[in-house]
Amino acid sequence: MDPAGDPFEILYARGVTDGLPVVPPTRERVAAAVAAAGRPSDALVALVPPNFGRATVEKIAVNAVMAGCRPEYMPVVIAGVEAMCDDAFDLHGVSATTNSAAPLFIVNGPIRTRLEINAGAGVFGPGHRANATIGRALRLIVRNLGGAAAGGITMSTMAHPGYFTYCIAEREEESPWPPLSVRQGFAAGDSTVSVFAGYAPQVVYDHQSHRGEDLLVTLVNSLAVMSHHKSTHHGDTLLVVSPEHAQLLAGDGWDPDRMRVFLWERLRKPVKDLIPGVNGGEGLPARVLAKFPDPSTDETLIAKVREPQNFKFLVAGGTAGRFTAVVAGWTFSKMSRMVTRRIDVH
Amino acid sequence: MSEEFLDPTDSVAVPRRTAPRPASLDGKVITLLDISKAKGDHLLDRIEELLRERHRPKAILRRKKPTFARPAPEDLRALILKETEVLVEGLAD
Repeated sequence: MDPAGDPFEILYARGVTDGLPVVPPTRERVAAAVAAAGRPSDALVALVPPNFGRATVEKIAVNAVMAGCRPEYMPVVIAGVEAMCDDAFDLHGVSATTNSAAPLFIVNGPIRTRLEINAGAGVFGPGHRANATIGRALRLIVRNLGGAAAGGITMSTMAHPGYFTYCIAEREEESPWPPLSVRQGFAAGDSTVSVFAGYAPQVVYDHQSHRGEDLLVTLVNSLAVMSHHKSTHHGDTLLVVSPEHAQLLAGDGWDPDRMRVFLWERLRKPVKDLIPGVNGGEGLPARVLAKFPDPSTDETLIAKVREPQNFKFLVAGGTAGRFTAVVAGWTFSKMSRMVTRRIDVH
Repeated sequence: MSEEFLDPTDSVAVPRRTAPRPASLDGKVITLLDISKAKGDHLLDRIEELLRERHRPKAILRRKKPTFARPAPEDLRALILKETEVLVEGLAD
């Protein structure tokens, strides 16, 4: 086939893809996606940072088609756009930083089962069209409407594979606790999408803990190396707990409110262990260190994660296996917060 | 065939252009904008010294963004537009 006439080559050459082939956004396909949105094609959903491109329903539909979405995914994609363009998420900073956090989208509520969004085995992995293409559509929107293309505005030194697509659902049926959406203030039975500026998942293995507290201690020591062993002032931090780990914790009476206080307290370190140049060059910033007259003996505890409320929990993954995924957030706690939006289902 | 595909970008957005470069800095009001990155002030202090050594600006103003992680607030942008002719934005780390 002549590459000049090949839709895949034409679209790649236009610089509007993530490097993988895209579905050609023909008028018919886009029209079907717009119709499924239940809103006029020129309705403005959000301005997408950092360039503040106009995300109309039609522009969202073009990107969703390219990503491979079915038309019925549109309400999730639209709610995802609203969530990531909320000022509290700071998509501007998330897109421009040299750090490596990508928007992770988490779906709750009945729409998960209707659209077959995977919450079970291999939750962060491939093989599920809804997860793969909803996450990809939102990434293409950041690129094509926000202007955050790699090598341009996006300055992430490393990035990670979730920059292609990063979308999961909570396995509410296997969770002993209320779903993330309810803890974020929504009603049980609402379908929602939450967005979180996430690093790549660090999967913590713990098959030997038989008490909830022992497992939490494993998690503390794994969380302690987010960014590096002496970093402080982390903000929102996500723990994706497998069903087996959730059963162990809940069986011993642990719920998210108790767990977040335990983790927060145990993750604090004294000033004397956070001095730059001792046990590694990193450590407290000079302006913080200056508050302590004799840091080398100072026992004042400094928090790794700013507040207990910064810990977010959800249950997902296969029913076999004792694992919890730690997803570190964008380090600057006052910048990007998890944002949740209700999905308007038509 | 390519015309059949709809555009995924915001084609309404006008590409931004940089302002014309001034021929000379003499007699100009220059703003040095610290974006609040660590040691940005060291960089801008040195730039201010060099500007005063090598040119004769009318004034050098120092402004600061509250955080590097977000765009400058609207009122700061308006202030800079109103009071200055040349802007130097300082990054450091």
